[in-house]
Amino acid sequence: MEFKGNKSRVIIPVVEMTPMIDIVFLLIIFFMVAAQFAQQAHIKLDLPTEVGEEITHKEQNKLVINILEDGTIIVDKSEGSISLQELESIVGSTLGEDNTSWQNITLRADENALSKSLNEVIGVLHKHGLSATNVATETP
Amino acid sequence: MIDVTFLLLIYFIVTTVFTPAESLLSPALQLEEGAASQTQDFEPQIVTLEMQGIHTVYVLGGQVLTSRVEFATTIAKLPIAPGLIIRVKNEVPVGFALTAVQEARNAGFERVTYVPAVD
Repeated sequence: MEFKGNKSRVIIPVVEMTPMIDIVFLLIIFFMVAAQFAQQAHIKLDLPTEVGEEITHKEQNKLVINILEDGTIIVDKSEGSISLQELESIVGSTLGEDNTSWQNITLRADENALSKSLNEVIGVLHKHGLSATNVATETP
Repeated sequence: MIDVTFLLLIYFIVTTVFTPAESLLSPALQLEEGAASQTQDFEPQIVTLEMQGIHTVYVLGGQVLTSRVEFATTIAKLPIAPGLIIRVKNEVPVGFALTAVQEARNAGFERVTYVPAVD
């Protein structure tokens, strides 16, 4: 007696690739976006490690002034170091934009830089009538 | 396609640089020749940050404070209302200057004024 269903069948294993590809694409998108943020990141500095203050409504940065360990001043809009005179004109033109106040300007200074450079930059800001400033710190 | 996708994934994993979170300290600004302090009703409380030899010190009303803890304890006893003026000499590292601003904030001073010291 022979049963119809008794014939041996070859079962081809099928690996479902769709979920894996979905996940891989999500990962790619994540890393692409993260890489984009990294490109926009500031110049690498050893910022002072302080808690800082909780900023309830962070204004958009229109000008970031970086002070390197050797006192070099680099503004995010420029490609290299700039002099105090150049900084003055950059600050002046930034403050000329609509709705720009001290809250739109951030100082990033290396913790090992001498305060001389920071003092000079603050002098420039004060000359333009800024009553306060934001100094970036690294969250501990 | 999967090969290319994996290559892309590896590329972005390798090239991505994550930056640490930053926070902000916001001192008021004043130059030493500024007139703001002259209009205050209270006697201004001034701490001067300077180098003595190779050490950074906080000088507050004739007291020379060598440690951050000592400085924090001392300013915690000061009245909050007049605010605190931090005079920073040129030779002091920025990191040290910001310890004073942070401790003043921690002590509850709402008005912390950063003043570049004229030597």
